[in-house]
Amino acid sequence: MTDTPDTSRSRRGRSKSWGTAATVHAVLLGYTIIALFPVIVVILNSFKNRRGIFTEPLALPGPETFSLEGYSTVLSEGSFLLYYGNSLIVTVVSLFLILLLGAMAAHALSEYRFRLNGILSVYMILGIMVPIRLGTVAILQLMVQLDLVNTLVSLIFVYTAQGLPIAVFILTEFMRTLSRDIKDCARVDGLSEYRIFFEVVLPLVRPVLATVAVFSMIPIWNDLWFPLILASSDATKTVTLGVQQFIGQYTVNWSAVLASLSIAILPVLVLYAIFSRQLISGITSGAVKG
Amino acid sequence: MSDLVLKDVRKAFGKTEVIHGIDLHVTDGEFVVFVGPSGCGKSTLLRMIAGLEEISGGDVVIGDETVNDIAPSDRGIAMVFQSYALYPHKDVYGNMAFALRHAGEDKKLINERVRKAADILGLEHLLKRRPKELSGGQRQRVAIGRAIVRDPEIFLFDEPLSNLDAALRVQMRVELLRLHQRLETTMIYVTHDQVEAMTLADRIVVLRDGRIEQVGTPLELYHHPRNAFVAGFIGSPKMNFLAAERQGATTVTTHGSAQIEVPVEARDGTGPVTLGIRPEHVEMVAPEEGTLSGEVLVAERLGGETYLHVDLGNEEPFVVKADGGVMQKTGERIGLRFPPQALHLFDEDGTAFEHRERHALIA
Amino acid sequence: MTDATTQMADRRPTRRRRRRAGTAHIVVFLAPALLIYTIFSIYPLVESLRLSLFDGLDDGSAVWTGLGNYARLLFDSNWSVRFWNALWNNLILFFIHMVVQNPLGLLLAALLSLAPRFGGAYRTLIFVPTLLSVVIVGFVWELILSPLWGVAEGMLSAVGLGFLYAPWLGLEDSALTAVSLISVWQYVGIPMMLIYAALLSIPDELLDAARVDGLSGWWIFWKVKLPLILPTLGIVAILTYIGNFTSAFDLIYSIQGVLGPPDYSTDIMGTLMFRTFFGQQTQIGDIYMGATVASMMFFVILVGVTIYLVGVQRRLTRYEM
Ligand SMILES: Nc1ncnc2c1ncn2[C@@H]1O[C@H](COP(=O)(O)OP(=O)(O)OP(=O)(O)O)[C@@H](O)[C@H]1O
Ligand SMILES: [Mg+2]
Repeated sequence: MTDTPDTSRSRRGRSKSWGTAATVHAVLLGYTIIALFPVIVVILNSFKNRRGIFTEPLALPGPETFSLEGYSTVLSEGSFLLYYGNSLIVTVVSLFLILLLGAMAAHALSEYRFRLNGILSVYMILGIMVPIRLGTVAILQLMVQLDLVNTLVSLIFVYTAQGLPIAVFILTEFMRTLSRDIKDCARVDGLSEYRIFFEVVLPLVRPVLATVAVFSMIPIWNDLWFPLILASSDATKTVTLGVQQFIGQYTVNWSAVLASLSIAILPVLVLYAIFSRQLISGITSGAVKG
Repeated sequence: MSDLVLKDVRKAFGKTEVIHGIDLHVTDGEFVVFVGPSGCGKSTLLRMIAGLEEISGGDVVIGDETVNDIAPSDRGIAMVFQSYALYPHKDVYGNMAFALRHAGEDKKLINERVRKAADILGLEHLLKRRPKELSGGQRQRVAIGRAIVRDPEIFLFDEPLSNLDAALRVQMRVELLRLHQRLETTMIYVTHDQVEAMTLADRIVVLRDGRIEQVGTPLELYHHPRNAFVAGFIGSPKMNFLAAERQGATTVTTHGSAQIEVPVEARDGTGPVTLGIRPEHVEMVAPEEGTLSGEVLVAERLGGETYLHVDLGNEEPFVVKADGGVMQKTGERIGLRFPPQALHLFDEDGTAFEHRERHALIA
Repeated sequence: MTDATTQMADRRPTRRRRRRAGTAHIVVFLAPALLIYTIFSIYPLVESLRLSLFDGLDDGSAVWTGLGNYARLLFDSNWSVRFWNALWNNLILFFIHMVVQNPLGLLLAALLSLAPRFGGAYRTLIFVPTLLSVVIVGFVWELILSPLWGVAEGMLSAVGLGFLYAPWLGLEDSALTAVSLISVWQYVGIPMMLIYAALLSIPDELLDAARVDGLSGWWIFWKVKLPLILPTLGIVAILTYIGNFTSAFDLIYSIQGVLGPPDYSTDIMGTLMFRTFFGQQTQIGDIYMGATVASMMFFVILVGVTIYLVGVQRRLTRYEM
């Protein structure tokens, strides 16, 4: 009698943990399917002809239904290569500026004691709470005055300003945790303050820079608002805007619509596949604890 | 040739002054240790010598040059940090060669110096490793090697051993001593471990709250502390303090109303004083033969020696260092006798009365 | 050693001595970021606030109206109906995110923190929608929910629930909820990641200690983990609130267009501001009223952030871990 509760408890324990694991996997797998399903449906159907899309939307493209007609329409009608180029230029240059200028500012705020330090830290971080879009009216006027409307430069400036606060915030928090000794050591070794930043601090914050890069990249690449307002000319359209307008014109040509969506999705997925490990380790390293 | 002189050096962070005017002369080749409780300003003072912390007042002179406004790298110093501060993206060789490469030194000279330092510290086989592939002791050695390579006039150490385990700490302490003998370079060393201070230092500087309490050789501080703070800080276990009343020029009575004659320079007056005696100087006798007597509260047996904590009716137990083989147990009464020359007397501000005779070892 | 020493000694007197660094480098480090941020983010915001106090005349000049624009927006029925409707819709949007997105994110994060097999894969894949442009997300869901294509209807029928199907995005009653849920689908990855990171940062010893104290799985989560991640939940809430006023526009604009159809049931502050500013169909653009709507959004956000900072964040003790 005395030992029965023991065995039963352990048995119950085992079956319970098995049951728990099954539940955990069921929920996670279920949600993963929900997360991916729409994307997969679109990509699959983009490789079908019109009939395939409508009769069997959930089937894989087969010999009957396989077709690249959507892609050929998109590539011949839209200037997607140009749009890609625009998006790429805007995103890469903005990211570069956000990371470089943000890291420089974060370094100054975390490393040096000076009178305005506290005020400037708060000032830089204000932008996290206030979406830059609220200033759209004035941004447009400013761009008109600077003669930058319908240029990629206007987008680059706005995105850099938009990305800086969160970059400065995350990097400052992280740089504060860097050992002071190592910078002092570099000082004793005779490095100038600039070289300390480039040769000692930057290599140390590289993983966090990657996280900031991914986080800043998503809203820039995907933004619709500012391209629509500041740079909607044909020569300066970004992919997001291009796709949006293309779809607007081709609502009846479903293969073209699906193909253009797929074209817009794929590069992001590829980039994500490359960076995802870094992204997650960056987040979990505590840099984004807030 | 390259003495280090601090003249009324001060440091304030914002409005709070943390270093209140330090004067110190370190002669060439000396091993000087700064000790003091946490937060007393040891690191700050060291960093001011290094040039990492701006000086709010006074002068730092190295050799015959005031270096207040000179960059750390041009002061002829090298520094070893508590956290080692190795560059994680460079291997051991790269870490050691870094400063010289940066100064644009000749490759051959760099190589020669790095190999030499690696040889001194036994790092030859580790030169290709990254810091994260090294143990704590090895990292510490690389950090020291990096300082040696720069061939400085003054080495600065900020608690370099405090991240190491006890055994390694003892071993590195000996290595540091040997290094000092070999290089004969000035070394300034910060620690809050008084054993490190006693064993390493030519002279110890005891700091408290940004002021120097006393400067002297380890034995001077041990035998002739200038005040109760230094007396309590140097030596382990801590010196025992007994409240007492001064009767004549040099006679005091304690609580237990025993009359004790202390061989110090006579002073006029009477009043409350503090009597100090180190645990290792107390003689243990039968209860009725002792100047004072009390009950054993705890016996800490370390094997070779035993610390008896004795209740003399004060708040803090009185500690006696006895032989490892003493039989006394908790609850037993014992008597205590104090050899006169081992007694210390402090006035109400904690200032020590001068001993009439200097200790034989330092006379 | 002696070789090296003498070489060093020979060189030393001639060495050029550099002075300690001054403050110029601080300016160099800070100025570029400060300039760009001030010119393109802070100045426009301040300028918008200023413009909201003016009104345009027919000849293009501006006159000071004080709070006149605000009075119109809040009380003139031409404006106020749309304004209150948009604000209300924004709050509903926020509410749906708070009760669906964040609990779901918490659930997923909690499950992931149990370190199941393939946890990394789940985490990576669930985050995918967050990366996509809202334009894409909008159209994907529009297609899937569309009665024309019939994917959603087909799937519901397949499990015998076909009768439940309705063209949700087109119905006044369900459009806003449908849009909100699409947004939840897209952004749930963010709270999931933030909460997951917070859960990971709880030291194992603490959980071991709880186990030793006799707590088991569910109770450990409830009694130990949850209290420790409350500050993160607070941050998630305030980020959700701010996100409402930015990312929601893109989604609604690309699914529903700028009028917030049907019958303004999905009209939010963002679309209202866009319409006011640029004009739409019969209405002509008005930068002053646009600036006023933007400023109102600013104040609404400010109220939310203040409530968070004063009321919530202070009460959420942050524990050292
Ligand atoms: N950057 C700073 N800003 C303000 N106060 C400081 C700063 N650095 C040190 N202090 C203060 O100066 C005093 C001395 O600090 P310091 O680091 O020199 O102490 P320490 O003797 O090295 O202590 P420990 O043994 O703990 O290392 C402390 O009270 C500390 O709070
Ligand atoms: Mg210190």
